[in-house]
Amino acid sequence: MKAIEVNGLSKSYGPIIAVSGLDLHVDEGEIFGLLGPNGCGKTTAIKMLLGLVRPDSGSAKVLGRKAGSKGSLENVGYMPQETALYEELTVKENLKLFAGINGLSGNEYRKREDEVLDLVNLGERRDSILSTLSGGQRHRVSLAVSMVHAPRLLFLDEPTVGVDPPLRANFWRTFRKMRDRGLTIIMTTHYMDEAVNCDLIAMMREGRIIAQGSPSEVMSRSKAGNLEDAFLKLSREEVKV
Amino acid sequence: MRPGRAFLVTKRIFWSLRHDPRTIALMCFAPILAMCIFGIAFSGNIENVKVIVINRDQGAYVPASNMTIRISDLIIDNMDEKKLNIHHMTDENEAIGAVKDGKYSSIIIFPEDFSRSVVNASQGGGEQAVLRIRSDQSQVNVATEIVQTVTNAMLKTLGDRGMKTPVAMDVSDPIYGKGARFIDMFVPGIMGFVVFLLTTLLTLISFVGERTRGTLTRLFANGLTEGEIVTGYAIAFGMVGMVQVGILLTVAILLFDIMVVGNPLIAFLIASLLAVVSVSLGILLSSLAQRESQAIQFFPIIILPVFLLAGIFWPREAMPLWLRPLSYLIPVTYAVDALRSVLIRGWGLADIWVQLLALVGFAAIFLTGAVYMLKFMRGR
Ligand SMILES: Nc1ncnc2c1ncn2[C@@H]1O[C@H](COP(=O)(O)OP(=O)(O)OP(=O)(O)O)[C@@H](O)[C@H]1O
Ligand SMILES: [Mg+2]
Repeated sequence: MKAIEVNGLSKSYGPIIAVSGLDLHVDEGEIFGLLGPNGCGKTTAIKMLLGLVRPDSGSAKVLGRKAGSKGSLENVGYMPQETALYEELTVKENLKLFAGINGLSGNEYRKREDEVLDLVNLGERRDSILSTLSGGQRHRVSLAVSMVHAPRLLFLDEPTVGVDPPLRANFWRTFRKMRDRGLTIIMTTHYMDEAVNCDLIAMMREGRIIAQGSPSEVMSRSKAGNLEDAFLKLSREEVKV
Repeated sequence: MRPGRAFLVTKRIFWSLRHDPRTIALMCFAPILAMCIFGIAFSGNIENVKVIVINRDQGAYVPASNMTIRISDLIIDNMDEKKLNIHHMTDENEAIGAVKDGKYSSIIIFPEDFSRSVVNASQGGGEQAVLRIRSDQSQVNVATEIVQTVTNAMLKTLGDRGMKTPVAMDVSDPIYGKGARFIDMFVPGIMGFVVFLLTTLLTLISFVGERTRGTLTRLFANGLTEGEIVTGYAIAFGMVGMVQVGILLTVAILLFDIMVVGNPLIAFLIASLLAVVSVSLGILLSSLAQRESQAIQFFPIIILPVFLLAGIFWPREAMPLWLRPLSYLIPVTYAVDALRSVLIRGWGLADIWVQLLALVGFAAIFLTGAVYMLKFMRGR
């Protein structure tokens, strides 16, 4: 089954075209990177897939269900671009709340709590009030919350912003491990050295996709030596690869 | 709607409160403080008013007891000492000067023929006795209170002397509220006011926070529905409203010894209904504010009409006729009405069903409104 199927998805805010005629097909068990300059529509596209923003036109399916329909968020996890957690609660309470909303409680939850806190290396800080954590630490909690219920499809909007390099490497090990177990990850990032680790990437510009494929395919087709150059080239000129 | 998920929203609010002692303090102490301040300031008891008495009364000879008496002295003795602080003077001009200086509120003047006129009048002849009161009428309440006190003293004196006035009034056996004081009427008012105000404002602030911090979006992204979120909030603040009424009742009974004739449990029901209405209103209003600082600008708009029109401090009968219909558009009106009827009149559920129905109606409309507003805002 396809993890997501997007056809002709569009959204404007008044005169600003956020997403225009987006087509996107991602198989299950892939790490898919959505790249592009600020304001090109990555976040808006993800929000439409989650039913948080109503598209003007087009259609989208998430794990076979119409985006925004009842039950379409089952088995889906989402890490927003901003931290979006309850700052006055402890790390654990935030985890517990969102686990509970996703129907996870009791021993099953406690096991997951340890797992995700291990991943983001915050096991010791589980009883800290969120507002007392550093920016990067809060971001890591947000990641932990997004996957506490072990979703099948995970949307990560810039998951590695402000995360230190060793931990980031650790993240990627985990992402790959989860992918190997069949999890699909759709993420955005501005770090090209990181995008190389994705199985597939799509370059967006002004609300549409201008290049798509594996990182090496995109590099070779845009005749660039590395992804950084490819990105610069593609975002400068309107080339379709 | 899954009740379990709505209850998680409730739980989250209580977790947040637990980590926020300042808000807990506000919710517990604000009601007490409001009650004490308003309760004492507006208690309506005007006391220790400084007045001047000029007594020129020459007395009258009463043949029956074969002596001359001054009825004015008896009246002065009968004046409530707690209310009037009496100073004697002889010169009217000096007294006027003292009132003008603001040292005294009023001059009470007994003329030379006061006792004679009273005695003659009681025997069915002569001129009426005239007692002059010249007050600083710019303090209307005080002036009225002085007249009232003097009148009471006069009636008591005449009664004591067996001089019957043609008409007497008996107010000793009221239908409701025997022995009620201002504070008894006021406590139900402040209950409604506090529950409404704190619930609306706290919901407004925390909902604007949910929106700006992105947690609302995150709740939606995890499959929570608008109905579940609104229900969760309503349950949480409904419970908080009951706690507030509990605190208010306890303090009012211990500190002010207020009258509780009816079943206080009904008061908890009324308060939680009002809290549910207030939660929905807070959520509705939150859609109009982008930031917390904007939400604060709504405060006066919320507070004023309720303060003025809901019958908290003064009865609706004291409002201009054209304003009265507006008070029926304010949910607090019904809550205060119901609370007063239960606590002072001792009414039961069967007697306040109209008010309860109105509150349930408001709750239904506002809750639905809040849910649809959230649905409408979500897609933007
Ligand atoms: N709620 C909104 N109201 C008005 N305009 C919006 C809204 N949300 C997004 N936009 C506009 O839509 C465009 C795309 O925004 P979006 O957040 O999707 O970009 P992005 O690719 O995620 O950028 P970034 O890399 O900075 O996160 C931007 O021009 C933005 O100004
Ligand atoms: Mg973005």
